[in-house]
Amino acid sequence: MSMSMQILLVVLGVVAGPLIGGLIGGLDRIITARFQSRVGPPVLQPFYDVNKLLAKEYTVVNAWQAFCAYSYLAASMISVALFFLQSDMLVIYFVQAVGAIFLVVGALSSTSPYSQIGAHRELLQMLAYEPLLVLVIIGIYIETGSFKISAVYSWDKPLLLKLPFLFVVLGYALTIKLRKSPFDLSTSHHAHQELVKGVTTDYSGPLLGLIEIAHWYDVVLFLCFCSLFWATNIAGMIILISITYFLEILIDNVSARMTWRWMLGNVWAIGLTLSLVNLIWLYQQ
Amino acid sequence: MEKLTFILIVLPFLSAIFCYITPYRKIRSSIVMATAFLLIMSSLMLIRITPFSFSPITVLGADIHHIVLILDFLILFLIFYFGIKHHHLLIIIFAILQIVLLGYLEYFMIKEQTVSPIFYCDSLSLIMILIISIVGSIICIQSIPYMKNHEEHLGLRISREPRFFGVMLLFLGAMNGLVLSNDLLFLYFFFEITTLCSFLLIGHDNTERTIRNAVRALWMNSLGGALFIIALVILNSQIGALDMQKIIHTPKAGLWFLPIALLCFAAFTKSAQFPFQSWLLGAMVAPTPVSALLHSSTMVKIGVYLVLRLGPAIQGTFLTHCVAIFGAFTFLAAAALAVGQSNGKKVLAYSTISNLGLIFACAGINSSAAITAGILLIIFHAITKALLFLCVGVIEQHIESRDIEDMRGLYSKMPVTALITVIGVITMIMPPFGLLLGKWMAIEAASRNIIVIIVLALGSALTVMYWARWAGILMSDPFAGKFKTEKQPILTWVSLVSLCLGATLLSMISPWLYSWMIIPIFNEKYLQSYIVTRGILENPSGSFAVIPLSILALIGFFVSVLAVRKALRARVVPPYLSGVQLSEPGTFLGPMNQPVKAEAKNYYLSSIFGEQRLTIWVNLVAMVLITMLIGGAL
Amino acid sequence: MFKKLIRNSRMKSPWLLHFDCGSCNGCDIEVLACLTPVYDVERFGIINVGNPMHADLFLVTGTVNSRNSMVLRNLYEQMPNPKIVVAIGSCGLSGGIFREAYNVVGGVDKIIPVDVYVPGCPAKPEAIIDGVVTGLQKYDRIVN
Repeated sequence: MSMSMQILLVVLGVVAGPLIGGLIGGLDRIITARFQSRVGPPVLQPFYDVNKLLAKEYTVVNAWQAFCAYSYLAASMISVALFFLQSDMLVIYFVQAVGAIFLVVGALSSTSPYSQIGAHRELLQMLAYEPLLVLVIIGIYIETGSFKISAVYSWDKPLLLKLPFLFVVLGYALTIKLRKSPFDLSTSHHAHQELVKGVTTDYSGPLLGLIEIAHWYDVVLFLCFCSLFWATNIAGMIILISITYFLEILIDNVSARMTWRWMLGNVWAIGLTLSLVNLIWLYQQ
Repeated sequence: MEKLTFILIVLPFLSAIFCYITPYRKIRSSIVMATAFLLIMSSLMLIRITPFSFSPITVLGADIHHIVLILDFLILFLIFYFGIKHHHLLIIIFAILQIVLLGYLEYFMIKEQTVSPIFYCDSLSLIMILIISIVGSIICIQSIPYMKNHEEHLGLRISREPRFFGVMLLFLGAMNGLVLSNDLLFLYFFFEITTLCSFLLIGHDNTERTIRNAVRALWMNSLGGALFIIALVILNSQIGALDMQKIIHTPKAGLWFLPIALLCFAAFTKSAQFPFQSWLLGAMVAPTPVSALLHSSTMVKIGVYLVLRLGPAIQGTFLTHCVAIFGAFTFLAAAALAVGQSNGKKVLAYSTISNLGLIFACAGINSSAAITAGILLIIFHAITKALLFLCVGVIEQHIESRDIEDMRGLYSKMPVTALITVIGVITMIMPPFGLLLGKWMAIEAASRNIIVIIVLALGSALTVMYWARWAGILMSDPFAGKFKTEKQPILTWVSLVSLCLGATLLSMISPWLYSWMIIPIFNEKYLQSYIVTRGILENPSGSFAVIPLSILALIGFFVSVLAVRKALRARVVPPYLSGVQLSEPGTFLGPMNQPVKAEAKNYYLSSIFGEQRLTIWVNLVAMVLITMLIGGAL
Repeated sequence: MFKKLIRNSRMKSPWLLHFDCGSCNGCDIEVLACLTPVYDVERFGIINVGNPMHADLFLVTGTVNSRNSMVLRNLYEQMPNPKIVVAIGSCGLSGGIFREAYNVVGGVDKIIPVDVYVPGCPAKPEAIIDGVVTGLQKYDRIVN
């Protein structure tokens, strides 16, 4: 890949990332509303929200929040850029974990119990999905022989056929990362107010806007990971992502929020079993 | 060459004696500083002449073999004496066993001295020497103000500082000797000195509790020593030599693996792997510089150093597989136990065990990428963990607690130390810093091993959990942005800041560190693992763009710092407390119009990760794994 | 243009915080009714965030008494500017039938500045929605 091509891809990723993420968010809200026999907001609603937030008064609980929010955004941006550079998947995963850690650290810097407990739940969520994500990446590596995304794109068969269970495992990680029920413990898009707004409780105004944008990047990154499972043609990618995302919304709407104990037990037991089975298949070949 | 090794090994011994007999603090401090300076300088000069090997005949005018032999017996009798003094049967048994075996080995088995060279220095030794001499010296410098505070706090009438600094310096010399030795008898001799130093330093405060823990450390490490000498006896009868290089390159035959397995076992005891973790946890009663020097950055690294050294000998065997699984298991189990801890020093101790487990796993995977990972982990773990221990020491002297919960909002009390601690934590878990680079390499190298990789994936998630919450609560307090000045002795600042810079800057140049230090290790058994181009570490299956990521991280950091400056001018609102908060920070209006402090504690999940719950099972599994390792070698 | 974009976004994304000062819950039920599929105010981007840190709109119902006036003020202060307060129901407007009670301070405007008053006992959902829309019109005046 030439240098100019690389720069073009990075710019594309960084600019298009939040646009796509926001649009997906808007569609998500409309479809969710239809599930609940409502009309729902306009498709551009997430952009209105973030725009408004960015223009609000700058208030902080603790100046560290600003550091953490900006770092979260930076890490998420870098991880998406790395993906578009077709870099090493493990590195991308580590960089996005940096963002998640900063979100937690920022929430912990407030003394509000809501924020603190939200932060700890976010940590538990990370604890639940991080090993699964590593195993998914390992599975892709075993199949393609490389950790680089470029190798996945040059692979001639869709990965989904060889890694069906690992795709389900990735689905678990995606559900947690998208903050969908039953895993919306730390914070949620809806007005379930058990923890107020959990990990984002004490972020306000522009900082909350930044966190929302960073979340869009994360969503895009995870959907990109999903798309790797049908990387042979664009139509396949889009269909796969659409079906996956539709299922996510469905699950969100039919399930209640569960406790962290249930999440940890369930995700680790099912996720690890499925990955183990799938990995054993791969090692056997 | 002779002069440099003399400075590195013998000079600390001499300074130790001077420290021990000097009654004046000023003179003692200057001796420590001078020794530290000389050690740092000569270790740096050693870079130029590596690799080298040489065999001195005499030291200070006496035959070196005789000196070592006499001192060896002296140490063993000292251990024997401590065993009797503290009525500990195991120590007595292990000491007698070692004395008998050493005597047997020296006077009946070894006919003539065949080992040459006695000292051998390659890149691996060099890296260890640099860590010991530089990080160790910095820790010694920090212990000058620390011990002054410590003794004032205890209100001792007779200062125990001479003994303390004597043993610390002695230890540095012994460590340097250990990593340079090629003759296994010399290695064994230095191994025993470190055991003794550890015992003396853990029991430094001379209370009932410290002595109990010190005795525990002594018996566990004596077990390691006994295993070591048994391995030497078998090795001598099998191949008739105690030469490390020769052993590594001898073709395998007969009972060949048993001594190697025993050496690995000895390494596990020295590195406090499960089920021997209790001595390291107990060792946390020692003054914090001791924990930093012996129990995180240097002495416990002996174990991993030994296994990495023996790596080529066991490549592709069942034994190396066992070591990998054992290491990975320790990595996971110690991380799980660390999650359940609120005691800061215990978290650090478990994290040390956990990281050593990861390095063992790397040594066990035994491919060139894994070895690279292991060495990088050794380097960066030593620096970062020393930094964190020193920080906890400083914090502990200030707030008189080592509990993480008591460090809530530490930023408002000691801003600079809190910041340095947070940076330390960040270098533990985030890219592009060295430890994460090592972990990345380890995971990629382990990906062909299904058991190891699943265990590593789980362990690495747990690691993030216990570090992130610690970093978070250090900053957890509303503050208006006024920097309160924090007063610490100048030597404390020097050591903290230099370690902090070391941890961050060295990470940024890790590609070059790799080219200079690690590439020379590769030979016909280990092909070169990564290629460095424009600051990017790359191999056919993966790439880690260290320099580009560092630059991006720096940009992100500066933008975030600017954001903080802007945030300092923003309106500060109190944290959300359902609207009932009072003007006093963190309190709300409770029943009967009384103010109540809002409290949130960390999740320690002790019902899952508690010590009482996990330890017994973890020990059991570890014992099974070790049995497997020994049995597989038979 | 930039200003217009921001104004547009503000109009389209009012996040609300609903606080019950101590009403009979009649108005509260009506407020929440607005969020149900029947009225579906999410069509207009309205979300009940339940957190002053995130909110733009402050919907207050019920009489203010000496105990909860502090809470009302605290919540109001935690909201970042620009913010709009809508007082709902007879009690929120003036204290309603409770205004003579010994512990009652009176309407919401005794404690914090109110932008829109929505009368009714209880106020109808249509009236509440209308009140919110009226409140949004005030953004122009508040900001500039």
